Amino acid sequence: MATEQQEHLKIEQLRVHSADELETIAGREKENLEGWIPTLATDAEIREALEKAFDYRGDVTITRKDGSKVEGYLFDRRSGATLADSFVRIIPVADKTKVNVVYADIAAIAFTGRDTAAGKTFEAWVKKYWEKKAAGEKNIQIEPEKLD
Amino acid sequence: MAVPVSQAWTVATYVLKQKLKGRKRYPLVLMLEPLFRCNLACAGCGKIQYPAHILKSELTPEECFKAVEECGTPMVSIPGGEPLLHPQMPEIVAGLVARKKYVYMCTNALLLKEKLHLFKPSKYLSFSVHVDGEKEHHDFSVCREGGHDIAMEGIRAAVAAGFRVTTNTTLFDGADPNSVRRHFDQLMAAGVESMMVSPGYTYDKAPDQNHFLGKAKSRRLFRAILSNRKKSWEFNTHPLFAEFLMGKQNFECTPWGMPTFSIFGWQKPCYLLQDGYADSFQELMETTNWENYGAKSGNPQCANCMVHSGHEASAVDYNFGSLKGFIETAKRYMFPSTYPDAEAEKLLNEWKPAHAMPLVQIQGANGTTNDQLQPVSGD
Repeated sequence: MATEQQEHLKIEQLRVHSADELETIAGREKENLEGWIPTLATDAEIREALEKAFDYRGDVTITRKDGSKVEGYLFDRRSGATLADSFVRIIPVADKTKVNVVYADIAAIAFTGRDTAAGKTFEAWVKKYWEKKAAGEKNIQIEPEKLD
Repeated sequence: MAVPVSQAWTVATYVLKQKLKGRKRYPLVLMLEPLFRCNLACAGCGKIQYPAHILKSELTPEECFKAVEECGTPMVSIPGGEPLLHPQMPEIVAGLVARKKYVYMCTNALLLKEKLHLFKPSKYLSFSVHVDGEKEHHDFSVCREGGHDIAMEGIRAAVAAGFRVTTNTTLFDGADPNSVRRHFDQLMAAGVESMMVSPGYTYDKAPDQNHFLGKAKSRRLFRAILSNRKKSWEFNTHPLFAEFLMGKQNFECTPWGMPTFSIFGWQKPCYLLQDGYADSFQELMETTNWENYGAKSGNPQCANCMVHSGHEASAVDYNFGSLKGFIETAKRYMFPSTYPDAEAEKLLNEWKPAHAMPLVQIQGANGTTNDQLQPVSGD
């Protein structure tokens, strides 16, 4: 789920208009988080960084305070009253077992994987379609990502 | 009747049992997502954006059966990803049919024809083929030229082989109601049992973030499409949900109506929004803050949602929740209306796309062929 900051376009629209009257709903403003290494100086920064990591559609790398690392897809977070009560849940790159990491144990987090939700806009597809069409190409399509 | 009588009876007795047990929140359809990978990369889809190791993962048949038993719904929908890419899908479907669950296996049908022999026709199994409109509309929607022809070939092959085939059409901003109505004619002519139609949801991970319908436009669009309907059209949506889309009913969201289970677990709160995961169905029901979802909650992510997964369950609950609801629904089934509406007819005749987007332009409202059309820039 996106944070309030990330959803501000839609929130601004809803402040002015009733949802029932909206013709077209505002899209989401995308943040470029790929490669980001947030500072984790305060509890608030840790919580915000992990909320963004939960929203991110690429792998992240977490370094624990004991120096061990876990790289994988952060698919869930459970936010408690304190950092010791809160944890993220990760599916590591090379393992299907779900791993829990307590917020209080986290020394660093890096958005190391490619953002799989970035790019590939509908506008880009339309532009590409017409270019290929003009060049006489057939069976024009966006190919799903190769997995191997 | 758009569904077999046995299915309607099973669903009705299930809902009545829930009511008699006094369950305030009960699920209606399990959305079982056994994998996220797909052989299409649609611009309006927010389901397939994951790293490769996640896209390679899939639920085992045992995990699927456990989820189905935990949840207990009479109907199971299998979206994805593309379920036909799962190597054990025939085993999963056979296991659900053996459990007498009514299965809607959602597919883009690119592989349907070649995989058909792996399945057995049954009253419990329906292939729910995703077709977003006439040829050009569908191909643009799924970002693949030729996708429509393959899907229709799959539909015809499945119908010929004796399978139940239904369809699912998702509409975005720029949809042309006249074209959608022609699309319905084509689907019925191809032999589909019934059709489902719904506005697209504003997935915030979808590559396309500019063509989602607001509520006002959705209601106008669906009023134009579903009023003055042909008697030959069969829909497998609840009649009151169709009226909700047309602006004739007002339903709040029932986010627990169609819970979703995937490789991550039970998705909080619904099929469309991801706000975390529970490890069991019970945990999902007990730990989700349901009051934070639905248009009434003020959650901006729910503001313009009119999707069937949250609202059709509300229509069903209304149907069985009061004598008034029951009588209203019974009337719709016993004396189905074509919803005559002169204003809607006018709307259809005068329909002009609000945004000159290529998806509409390519369709050729004036009868031109695809090859003759030129792109028109948006406003």
